[in-house]
Amino acid sequence: MISLSGVTKCYGAATAVQDLSFTVNSGETLGLLGQNGAGKTTTLNIITGYLAPTSGDVRVGDYDLLTQARQAKRLIGYLPEQPPLYDEMTVESYLRFVCRLRLVVEADIARHVRDIAAQTNLSDVLGRRVGNLSKGYRQRVGLAQALCGEPEVLVLDEPTVGLDPRQTAEFRDTLKKLSGGRTVIFSSHILSEVQALCDRVIILHHGRVACDQRLGDMSRGAGARLQAAIFGDMETLLPALRSLNSVARVTRLPAREAGVAEVLIEGKPGAVPQKELFTLLCGLQMPLMRLTPAADTLEDVFLRCTADDQALEKK
Amino acid sequence: MRAIFKRELQGYFYTAAAYVYMGVFLTLGCVFFAINNLAARSSDLNNLLWMMSYLWMLLTPILTMRSFAGERKARTDQLLLTSPVSLWGVVGGKFLAACAVLLCSVALSLVFVLIVALYGQVYPQELAVGYLGFILQGCAFIALDMLISAQCRAPMTAAIVAFGGNLLLWLMDVLNAAIDIKIVNSILTFISPYQRCAPFKLGQLSFANALYFVAAIFLCLFFSVRTLDARRWREA
Repeated sequence: MISLSGVTKCYGAATAVQDLSFTVNSGETLGLLGQNGAGKTTTLNIITGYLAPTSGDVRVGDYDLLTQARQAKRLIGYLPEQPPLYDEMTVESYLRFVCRLRLVVEADIARHVRDIAAQTNLSDVLGRRVGNLSKGYRQRVGLAQALCGEPEVLVLDEPTVGLDPRQTAEFRDTLKKLSGGRTVIFSSHILSEVQALCDRVIILHHGRVACDQRLGDMSRGAGARLQAAIFGDMETLLPALRSLNSVARVTRLPAREAGVAEVLIEGKPGAVPQKELFTLLCGLQMPLMRLTPAADTLEDVFLRCTADDQALEKK
Repeated sequence: MRAIFKRELQGYFYTAAAYVYMGVFLTLGCVFFAINNLAARSSDLNNLLWMMSYLWMLLTPILTMRSFAGERKARTDQLLLTSPVSLWGVVGGKFLAACAVLLCSVALSLVFVLIVALYGQVYPQELAVGYLGFILQGCAFIALDMLISAQCRAPMTAAIVAFGGNLLLWLMDVLNAAIDIKIVNSILTFISPYQRCAPFKLGQLSFANALYFVAAIFLCLFFSVRTLDARRWREA
């Protein structure tokens, strides 16, 4: 549905995003993660046509965003970080205006606005001025405007920023309902939100794709992660484990029982460390008390992808 | 374009912009009418329009200050520029809406014509030509100030810079009168909107001068479109 190939955006001498290439399939919900300044908003602004890339191509549906902008833009509904609202208008007149902008047939506008208001729980405030609404309602109006014209793609830039926990939960529920069948791209700092809503995540770091994975595949690819409880002496065990060919890294974990060493074993990509581990422990005569796969959480992946920055910050 | 025109026009009347603009226009218009026609016992309305044409310098920035700079500040430009509307549609819609408010104020000035018609002599053809020049000049100022608004980030900056630009155009006439260098004089005379409006004041329908205003409007709108387009490539 959306494909970026070799997209770079420079602001003068600074490069905001560099050589971005990825595809978002129809009906997929993609979460765009990254630290502040990683290039998330720039990427979304390029996808929606608000900014033009310095180099590279963006296609939305069958259309090139640069040469067939009008057709491409018809397919996209965009909720920027700050909803683009006219405070002096009523919610209804604002949504009618956006429908006209998005070339909805005049005869269908009234019905369309009613439907969108019902979907986004705005029916009660249609007659109120946008400027008088609370932050939560303003965000809903922003979402409603993105839905005008029934776009196939929804692009949302940090849609729950500034909302209280209840508003966030409500907004998330609304979004879940709306995403059925649509292609949704949204950026967020809240990992649990991305985990709850997305099929796939892309982590941007310094304007580049640092990770592009389906959420279900998080623990694959990077090598197996095993949490082991071994009856034996940690000082003997650690160097022996580290000497195994299939093991990339061994981390000492806090012990929960006396005489039992607990470690996190990270295998090399594609390797299965269990076989070597059993052979080693038999040789050392150290019984294995527990061996459980340690799932790679989104937070683990995020922290790993952005590790160099944190190391720099510590320094 | 129609949707943007309608929203902009409503926007002028939902906010204080149109009322401030019309209030000042009518107040100063009344002062000019009192001086030019009532006190002087004159029925020369074209001269009144000539005097009132200096109001554009002061008033058109009120109409245009929000048109692009305001949208940019409120980030509503993201809605317009990510919609399937051409940049010409956006610029054209905004320009026509500002012109519509300007025409409303011009319509209000017909009250002066009515008063003169009741107590004196009105020459309709000369007056129509005078109004044509008056309106064209106002529209040209709107287009110029809209271009300035497209360059600015804040409405107040846009208003101040636009007023400065308009003032500069008037100062060119002052400079033109003060210096005596033939080539400079001819260039300043060519550019000056006030000089271009002079034949209309006399009731002479001048196609060349009308064309000058139309070309100036087109050029300013063209550069507004180019400004918006260029911003997509360099905006941070």
